[in-house]
Amino acid sequence: MTTTRQTARRLQLTVLAVLAVVGLFVVKLVDLQVVRAEELTVAAESRRTIPVTTHGIRGSIVDANGVVLADSVERYDITAAPVNVKPTTFITQDGERVEVSTVEAVAKIAELTGTSSADLMAELTADPSSQFAYLVKAVDLATFQAVWDLDIAWVYSDMRPSRVYPSGAIAGNLVGFLGTDEPLAGTERRWDECLASTPGQSSYERGADGVRLPGSLVVEQEPVDGATVHLTIDSDLQWFAQQALATRGTEVGADWGTAMVVRVATGEIVAAADWPSIDPNDLNSVGPNDAGARSFVAPFEPGSIMKPVAFAALLDQGLITPNTQLVVPGNYTEGLPPGENITDVFSHGDLRWTATGILMNSSNIGTVMLSNQLTEKQKYEYFMKFGFGQPTAVDFLGESVPGNHGRVFSPEEIDSVSEKTQMFGQGITATSAQMASLYQTLGNGGVRMPLTLVAGCEWPDGTWTNVPVPQGERVVSEYAADTTIQMMETVASQGGLRSVISIPGYRVAAKTGTGEVAENGRYGAERIVSLAGVVPADDPEYAIVVTFGKPDIMKSSAAAAPTFNAIMEQVIKTFRVQPSTEAAPNLPLTW
Amino acid sequence: MSALPLASPRPGRRSAPERHLEVAPTRAQRRARPRLLPAIVTMGGIGAILLAQLLLSIVLADGAYRIADLQRDQRSLQREEQALAEQLEVLSSTQNLTANAEHLGMIASGNPVFLDLSTGAVSGNPTPAGGSLTGATGNQIGNSLLSGSTLVDPVTATATNPVTPTGTGASGATTPPPPGMIPSPTR
Repeated sequence: MTTTRQTARRLQLTVLAVLAVVGLFVVKLVDLQVVRAEELTVAAESRRTIPVTTHGIRGSIVDANGVVLADSVERYDITAAPVNVKPTTFITQDGERVEVSTVEAVAKIAELTGTSSADLMAELTADPSSQFAYLVKAVDLATFQAVWDLDIAWVYSDMRPSRVYPSGAIAGNLVGFLGTDEPLAGTERRWDECLASTPGQSSYERGADGVRLPGSLVVEQEPVDGATVHLTIDSDLQWFAQQALATRGTEVGADWGTAMVVRVATGEIVAAADWPSIDPNDLNSVGPNDAGARSFVAPFEPGSIMKPVAFAALLDQGLITPNTQLVVPGNYTEGLPPGENITDVFSHGDLRWTATGILMNSSNIGTVMLSNQLTEKQKYEYFMKFGFGQPTAVDFLGESVPGNHGRVFSPEEIDSVSEKTQMFGQGITATSAQMASLYQTLGNGGVRMPLTLVAGCEWPDGTWTNVPVPQGERVVSEYAADTTIQMMETVASQGGLRSVISIPGYRVAAKTGTGEVAENGRYGAERIVSLAGVVPADDPEYAIVVTFGKPDIMKSSAAAAPTFNAIMEQVIKTFRVQPSTEAAPNLPLTW
Repeated sequence: MSALPLASPRPGRRSAPERHLEVAPTRAQRRARPRLLPAIVTMGGIGAILLAQLLLSIVLADGAYRIADLQRDQRSLQREEQALAEQLEVLSSTQNLTANAEHLGMIASGNPVFLDLSTGAVSGNPTPAGGSLTGATGNQIGNSLLSGSTLVDPVTATATNPVTPTGTGASGATTPPPPGMIPSPTR
């Protein structure tokens, strides 16, 4: 039996023991929180969170039918840790683990990746204490898998996003290309706001020895992939146009060529071909002058393909009809400074031409004589309304740079010669895109639809941004535009190139153009030849403009005619353009 | 009777034969006594719960390893799919398709002819098909991703992937391509 005293003593002993343990804890606590606080905080720094930037995928560029023109792919960098490299290495060969000399292992890697063994050895031996060295950069999956299967202990890998252009040089001028840090040209640069991905943020914890702590990854923000940019072009038609330009261009010895096909009703560009055109996969495929898109940013004096502006303006003002009669001399000096004169492409005496005849024969003098009925202000306003002297709605990379969107002289700055010559396309500059826009307007009953190249940006979540809502703008009356088209039909049906550019069953309206090129302030022997038109002329669906720059042989629009015809036929096949049902009106050319 | 204080019982002489005395428990005390069966059940239950917990964590860990394995497989399959999709895009390029079409002997079509289904009227000027799409000089628009020959030879393609011809097909030619490989209009 226990006595009260013994019970009390036991109780005292227990309490003492508990107090002792508590005291021990307090001492330890004070030691950690107060005495060793500094030292422990420093040690904890090594356990801090490491932020990581995760990257999304750059958006792709596709054509109107979904054909991919630019795509983001994964490539792999093969890296090594030279500090772990020993004179011999274990590799997996034929399913077995064998020990070979490191030189042999490196030779195997070189063989699989198509690099030189000496280069790889140099990388490994450059800094033997380094933890990181690049062996081979940007290999594709098959090569990477082959190297990885060797199972070499000191070989590691890194994923590197890369860009591939599956269609090669097709639309290379429009798509552009990337440099090492940023996009350099074309849609890649102009539409980077849609294409670029937004990086995300993650963080993880790492121990003092640098090992990542498992399960400590926290994703704060997911990366957002870039949007897909949809172009309005048809890549097969684009290939055809580029091919036609390349074949004919080399035949006539031209320096360059452009071909634009625009859908008349909407202003969508279905083909914008440049020759030569860069293959974005191989930046050395063309010279630096050919790496961009001349069709949008390189203005030239267009020559006679500009004449329809004069005729449409005159018809719009009610100053002429197609049958307006005129006696056209062979030499024109009125209102020009002494010593200057305007001639036609062939010398002639006084000829009795109607307005249609003047357009069909591409008479410079006749055009100037008729245009004298317009004031300089009226001429300037019509040029501006047709979109000349300003960037097109496409706003292609570089279009808004002064000098790249052509020049229309205002009434204050124009001289007496250019005032007249601009009506036949000299003394005024324009790009191929602006010329295509002119023919689109004339084909669309006088309503100019803004040119579109990009149909919109499609984001990964399905939303669309940057979708253009084209607003038409009336430039000339429907009567003026339709009548101009009818007058141009005579070029295709009765002109010198009729056998080349006419297509049985279809009414074609076309205009030839041979622009003189000014070099060092004087017009020389070089020419820029063009052919522009719409098909079918009774209800135009497509406007086509073909231009060759500085051909060596055949310095007339006969150089561009076969290409114009070929592209027109391909447009008819591609878009199932129906043949014309009514016959063309009979417009007299002479009186 | 003695006036001595109570002293602890001393072992030693016995006054009377020792009788083993036990406290006779009352019913209440008997009921309050802990039973064996509930104790066993409780302990067994706790044991079973702990065992279940152990098994569950084993299965979870195993599942976690399987998930990690499958995720690794999925990543590697996704990479393969991307690489193959990339190859497909290059092979779908216009340059490759025209090269293969011409290798098969295809030619450019002629002018299209239209049949108006409502009136039965035929419009268009038919011209005979002919000529190569790329012309005499061949394809001028390069694609540096198409390295080497990517032409598909239909004879060897059918040899490696034999398809049993089901239709009447060609009339006794040497090695006709099986129906379905190249579309042919029915006569």
